[in-house]
Amino acid sequence: MFRYYFQLGLRSLRRNPMLTTLMVVTLAVGVAASMATFTVLYVMSGDPIPHKSDRLFVPRLDNAPLAGYAEGDEPSDQMTYQDASNLLASGQGLRRTAVYGTNAAIESGRPDLPPFLTNGIAPTRDFFAMFEVPMLYGSVWSAADETARKDVIVLSRELSEKMFGSANPVGKTVRFEDTQWQIVGVADTWNPLPRYHRLINGSGGSFTGSEQYFLPFQTAVRHEMGNSGNNNCSGAGPTEPGYQGWLKSECDWIQFWFEGKAAADQPRLKEFLAAYVTDQKKLGRFPRPVNVRMENVMEWMKHLGVVSADAKLSTWLAFGFLLVCLVNTVGLLLAKFSARAGEVGVRRALGATKNDIFRQFLTEAAVIGLVGGLIGLLLSFGGLWLISMQSDGMAVVARMDWAMLALTLSLSLVASILAGLLPTWRACQVTPALQLKTQ
Amino acid sequence: MLRMTNLSKVYRTHMIETHALRGFDIHVRPGEFVAVTGPSGSGKTTFLNIAGLLEEFSGGDYVLDGVNVKGMDDNARSKLRNEKLGFIFQGFNLIPDLNLFDNVDVPLRYRGFNAAERKRRIEEALGRVGLSSRIRHYPAELSGGQQQRVAIARALAGAPKLLLADEPTGNLDSQMARSVMELLEEINEQGTTILMVTHDPELAARAQRNVHIIDGQVSDLMREATAYAANNT
Repeated sequence: MFRYYFQLGLRSLRRNPMLTTLMVVTLAVGVAASMATFTVLYVMSGDPIPHKSDRLFVPRLDNAPLAGYAEGDEPSDQMTYQDASNLLASGQGLRRTAVYGTNAAIESGRPDLPPFLTNGIAPTRDFFAMFEVPMLYGSVWSAADETARKDVIVLSRELSEKMFGSANPVGKTVRFEDTQWQIVGVADTWNPLPRYHRLINGSGGSFTGSEQYFLPFQTAVRHEMGNSGNNNCSGAGPTEPGYQGWLKSECDWIQFWFEGKAAADQPRLKEFLAAYVTDQKKLGRFPRPVNVRMENVMEWMKHLGVVSADAKLSTWLAFGFLLVCLVNTVGLLLAKFSARAGEVGVRRALGATKNDIFRQFLTEAAVIGLVGGLIGLLLSFGGLWLISMQSDGMAVVARMDWAMLALTLSLSLVASILAGLLPTWRACQVTPALQLKTQ
Repeated sequence: MLRMTNLSKVYRTHMIETHALRGFDIHVRPGEFVAVTGPSGSGKTTFLNIAGLLEEFSGGDYVLDGVNVKGMDDNARSKLRNEKLGFIFQGFNLIPDLNLFDNVDVPLRYRGFNAAERKRRIEEALGRVGLSSRIRHYPAELSGGQQQRVAIARALAGAPKLLLADEPTGNLDSQMARSVMELLEEINEQGTTILMVTHDPELAARAQRNVHIIDGQVSDLMREATAYAANNT
């Protein structure tokens, strides 16, 4: 019978075309507004690495001066070179990486490609396993290369294709910082959203940008490469001159990640961090009371406010608008179904049960929802296009995937069925005898 | 076919009670063609609605084709209505946005017949009322008489035991009315019991017997006995 009811629903669209159009457009606009804003929120707040986001941790230490301390102060989002080196050497967690951003003026050696400035990061080799960076050619540098602080490099696919076309460049070299860097691997395209591994100091913010190359952390330090990003010297700043003074300072400029074996490692690592700070106090560092954090991926993104309050508010407002649209649709469906009382009477006289009428009319409401959903989908794409025009960052998050597409249609169907419940129930209450006489 | 015993129907509002039927007794035998007459407000339509299981009754008993319908739930009444009854209304009551095929299809859908069986019955029923050539037409494209024939085809498609007709010629001119009446007589001759409410004494006279209702009660059974005796001798 569902097919029969569905056919009747399609036919019913042609009846009262003005009323039908109003309902479909009302639903479509409500669904489109909700889904366009919700899609942005969904991408912004999505878990970029769901299978291990609960065991990748960002440690934070409060090494600021005692002056100005207030209980509840948040520790810095980055850390000093001293702490990064100590934590790398600690052996804690399954894997560890320190990361900082660098710039390089790369000389391709090709007459048709003049030197160009590009950006990359300097992590440890664990970074690739921790964040599951896919490799197109070669592999990450070896542990021996890392220990020896060798001049090795992993290119991004984009940079590799820019310099070498589609050829495998592993074994070749690129030149910058007056050094020939040996290419050991090419990372395939890798753009997690949000860019949780580089939420601060990333080239482009939480959603845009990419790393064009990867250098070993300690090699970059050996070359005294500067940090491309925030440097926070809340204390007196470096007490010694030069790059070595910078490394010994209490300035925060390095991001750090631990990977635990399990989510349960989080409190244990936090305890270790507190013990580390206590230990460092003996060396005259960390004048403030012990104040540490150990946050997993989702906590880290929440701390940095990846999802803006505006995005949340917009979504709530859009769903409020959908509710208003739904109430309007209820009214329009009531009008449409009330005009069908005569048909209900006839169908009941010919053997339809109340359940038959209920199913028929609810299916009709669902058909309206389906059409509204399809139009709403088109409008959602339009809405997302408008949102994407606001900025490059919004352009990245304002995109619909299959899950959102299915959710849009489902939302419209569910909304229309909900809106159809009262009118359908009213239609079922029609007294057939009364309608048949007044036809 | 239909037996009502001491049946009553009371409409209640918070102010008043109206007795539409009281102490109502009637027995319609299989194959009969019974005309129900009476002045406006006498209870004819209430009787027909109760006979058609479209309204519940307040007291008494009603047995339809051997089934006591008292206390039946909505689903059971709908099933019984679909299987045993056919309706013909004064206003035809066709669904305007369905063509003739789909209009006649409506009761068959609720019966659960497969597509082939429904098609066979629809074509046969529309053929029986002489409208085979208009099968894809819509009600608005037909005359009043033709629309009533479609309504009759719709009622016949389910092969009902009892056909309930409420002023079936009330909206038709005399020629069309005669044609519809002839069709009903033909249907009755083929074995279907017919209960017809009418104001028209000429039409009532063509029935095998008349039941006259006044103030919610059957008032004149004399003609029933006479007509029935005449038909059975």
